[in-house]
Amino acid sequence: METPRSNSVFALAALEHIDALYSYAMTLTRDKSEAEDLVQETYLRAVRAANQPATAGNLKAWLFVVMRNAWLNIARHKQHGLRLFQFEGAEPVDGVANDASSNPHVVYLRKLERQQIHDAIDTLPDAYREIVVLRDLEGFSYHEIATVLNCPAGTVMSRLGRARGKLREVLSQRQKVHRLYG
Amino acid sequence: MMNCDDIRERLALYLDNELQEDDRAAFEAHTQSCESCASFVENELAFLNAIRGSGPVHTAPETLKTKVADIVNGPAEPARERFALKWILPIAAGLLVLLAPVVMWRVMRQSTHPANGGPSGFALMAAESHLRHMRGQLPLEMETTSPQAISAWFGNKVDFNVKLPSYQESSGQEKIYTLEGARLVGYQNDYAAYVSYRMGDRPISLVITSETVAKPSGGEEIASRGLRFHFNSIDGLKVITWSDRGLTYALVSDLDERGQQSCIVCHQGTKDQDFIEPLKPH
Ligand SMILES: [Zn+2]
Repeated sequence: METPRSNSVFALAALEHIDALYSYAMTLTRDKSEAEDLVQETYLRAVRAANQPATAGNLKAWLFVVMRNAWLNIARHKQHGLRLFQFEGAEPVDGVANDASSNPHVVYLRKLERQQIHDAIDTLPDAYREIVVLRDLEGFSYHEIATVLNCPAGTVMSRLGRARGKLREVLSQRQKVHRLYG
Repeated sequence: MMNCDDIRERLALYLDNELQEDDRAAFEAHTQSCESCASFVENELAFLNAIRGSGPVHTAPETLKTKVADIVNGPAEPARERFALKWILPIAAGLLVLLAPVVMWRVMRQSTHPANGGPSGFALMAAESHLRHMRGQLPLEMETTSPQAISAWFGNKVDFNVKLPSYQESSGQEKIYTLEGARLVGYQNDYAAYVSYRMGDRPISLVITSETVAKPSGGEEIASRGLRFHFNSIDGLKVITWSDRGLTYALVSDLDERGQQSCIVCHQGTKDQDFIEPLKPH
C-alpha cells in the first residue's frame, strides 16, 4: 500500500543526499556512531513527515532542517546540545578581520590539501563549522541556511563572515608553520 | 555607482550569489574598472574555491546506506508494516471492529484490566463526531471509496500522515464494508482526520490525530502485540482507541455489544466462530 509520501521518487531523491546528511551529522555530533544514528533518525522522521516538500528542489534543505531538529531534540536530552545554544547567545564580536586584503597568505590557500582544509574546518567552534559546511560545502543559499538554523538571514551573513575569517586565520597560520618547518 | 567601500561591504554577498541583479551589475562594473577591488575579489574567490573544492568532508558508510535505503523504501521484509496492517487495516475497515477486540479479549483475558476511568476526551470527541455525522450535522468534505484518494486529500490539511488500509487488496476477502469519504474535525485547536465507513446500513467512524495531541486512556484496556486498546461504551456507541507509530486512532460504531453478531457475518462456517462463543450474553 503506497501513500503519496512513501513513493519511490521520494526515496530516490532522499537517498541522493545521504553523504551530505552524514557529513552534516558528523559536523553536529563529531562522532561516527552518533552521526549514523542521527542520519537514520532523520530519514525515519522524513518518511513519516506529512509536510514533505512537493518538489525535489528544496528536498535537501528540508532534510537538513529535519536533521537539525532531530539533533536538537536528542541533544536536549543528552545535555550536550548546550554548546550549540550557548554559542548562539554569546557570539564573539571581536573575531578576526573579515577582510581578505588584511591577510597576505590567502594566495597560498589554493595549494592547500583538502585534508588541511577539512582539519581546519574541524577546529572551528561548532556554530562556525556548521555555517561553513552549510554554505561552502553544501552550497545552501543564505535563505536556506536561515531556514535550517532557524535564524534571521542577517545572522547568517554576519556569522558566515566571522566563520570564514576564523577559517582563513587558521589556514594561513598552518600554512606559515608548514612553510617554516615543512 | 558603487565605490570601493561598497564593494568590500558586498563582497561576500557577491561571491555567495546573493546580490540582486542591479547590485550585481553595479558590483561588476566597479571591479572591471578598479584594479584594487578586482584583486581583492580574486583573492577572496580563490580562498572560497579552495574550501568549496575540498569536496565532501565525509562519505556515508555502506552499512548506513543500506539501513537508510530500507527506511525510505520500506524494509524488504516489512515486519512492522505488515504487523500494523494486520491490525489497523481490518480494524479501521470495520471488519475487525468487533472481531479484533473479541479475539484479543479471549486471548488476552489475563492481561485485561478492569475499567480504569472514563473515556478520554479524544474518545468522547470521536463518539460525538460519529453521532453528528449520523444526524447529518457533519457532512463529508470529500466522498470517495478510494483509501489513496483520502490519504492524498489529507496530505496538506493535517500535519500527520493519514494512511488508510485497502483491506480488499491485501486480504482477498470479500469486502463487506464501504469507504464513504472524509472530512476534518476540530480537536484541541487543531484538525483531526475523520473517515467514514459503512457496513451495510451501519456507519463506522475512524478519527485520527497525532499521538502528541491525544493519548488513549480510560475504559477497559486490552493489550495485544505491543498495542494497547482502550475499549469504551459511550452513549451506546462502541469506541476503541489506540496509538500506533505516532498516531492515535478512535474507531466508533453503533454495532452491538462486543459485536458478536457482526462477527458471524464474516466468520460463519469458519473455525473462527468459536471466538464469538465466549462473548455471547450469558
Ligand atoms: Zn574599487
